[in-house]
Amino acid sequence: MKPINMTVLALAAGAASNAFGTQYLTVEQAQQAMFPDASGFKDASLQLSAEQMKQVEKLSGLPARSVAWRVFAAYKGDTQLGYMVLDDVVGKFELISYAVAVNPDASIKQIEILTYRESHGFEIKSPAWRKQFVGKTAAAGLAIGDGIASISGATLSCTHVTDGVRRIAAIAQVALKK
Amino acid sequence: MKRRAQPWLGTLVEVTLADALYETAAASAFDAAFGAIAEVHRLMSFHDAASDVSRINQMAVDSVLQVDGHTAAVLRAALDMSTATGGLFNIACASKLVQWDYLPGAGVDANTDAGRPTLHVDEAGNVRKLAPVLIDLGGIAKGYAVDVAIAALQRQGVAAACVNAGGDLRAFGESPFPVMVRDPRSPGQIACQIDLDNAAMATSGSYFSQKTVRGQLRSALVHGIDGSALVDSVSATVLAPDCMTADALTKLVLLSNDPRHPLLQRFGATAFII
Repeated sequence: MKPINMTVLALAAGAASNAFGTQYLTVEQAQQAMFPDASGFKDASLQLSAEQMKQVEKLSGLPARSVAWRVFAAYKGDTQLGYMVLDDVVGKFELISYAVAVNPDASIKQIEILTYRESHGFEIKSPAWRKQFVGKTAAAGLAIGDGIASISGATLSCTHVTDGVRRIAAIAQVALKK
Repeated sequence: MKRRAQPWLGTLVEVTLADALYETAAASAFDAAFGAIAEVHRLMSFHDAASDVSRINQMAVDSVLQVDGHTAAVLRAALDMSTATGGLFNIACASKLVQWDYLPGAGVDANTDAGRPTLHVDEAGNVRKLAPVLIDLGGIAKGYAVDVAIAALQRQGVAAACVNAGGDLRAFGESPFPVMVRDPRSPGQIACQIDLDNAAMATSGSYFSQKTVRGQLRSALVHGIDGSALVDSVSATVLAPDCMTADALTKLVLLSNDPRHPLLQRFGATAFII
């Protein structure tokens, strides 16, 4: 396997991306990553009834938060492999979109982050950082995410995602279980 | 460049593959890396009652329990680090984190007596509890998880990758990976950038975890000897050959406030405080 020039790749990817975050997967890519054997996906979005909302709150210990949930059912031929539920969470510092793959028995199969964004914007102040892009016009739409750099710092808790997954596990029990 | 992220170990874990891999090879590599992280999470989570850490916390003083090889390796490294740092690095501070609502109550009476040994781990992974303590591997297990994920990627034949578990990173490959370090006084800004070249780095700071608990400002970073919370607006970054060492040493640098601490050299590490 031949090593790739990362700067070239990063700039190519960066040109089409958001300035303050990372897109890890599109919805379609997440479907493929979570159900690689699936031959097709059907919209199976949910509208929870008042009774279902109550059950979700009881099971998860969290507010049900929303009536409407974006869900896809994964199929291999006529066989249903499971579901993918989409959600967004807003933390004190971050905005996260994620997908939860659920088995037909309502157990959690996999969790994938789709996008991560800083909620208060994100600034690059270091001249050393900017220097590497001098003279590169593609850097005009400079993206931090999509492969340019990783971030190190104090650990940011993912409590909001963990709670969100707990809520989706309850929704799956109440509304998706076969 | 392919990048995925999943929630593990209480934070977001990001895996970046720099190889030009076919989809199926990339999928196997991601599965191997996240599978390794998931295994460490399962063994070392404070929250999961079935984890080795919870079983140790629930066991009686003087009893013995066999743990997984991964857990034994982390416990031995943690106990060595505790000895080397004179107790500044201390995994037996979890009762403070429970008191301050960073961790859920474990239903066990425990103290944080730093003066005496808390656990003994033998070669076969048998853990003997020597004192009534609650342990939490939050200050070292993320780094270890990064190391095992990197090893898993290398076993898959990946030539260049980076794994980042909430600010604890390790990278390998021909080209260095750029890493931006947050400004601890303004975490939405970047203080500096480092090229990570076949090495590990970790940053610790309390700026994301600080909160007021019953009138006192606390954080998830506990002083291993006096049990106080670190609430300074600074961060410590350590570069080391492996990520477990980098992760653990951030606590030494932060709590000693010494980026040139003599112990760093022994571990092949360098550090800075921002």
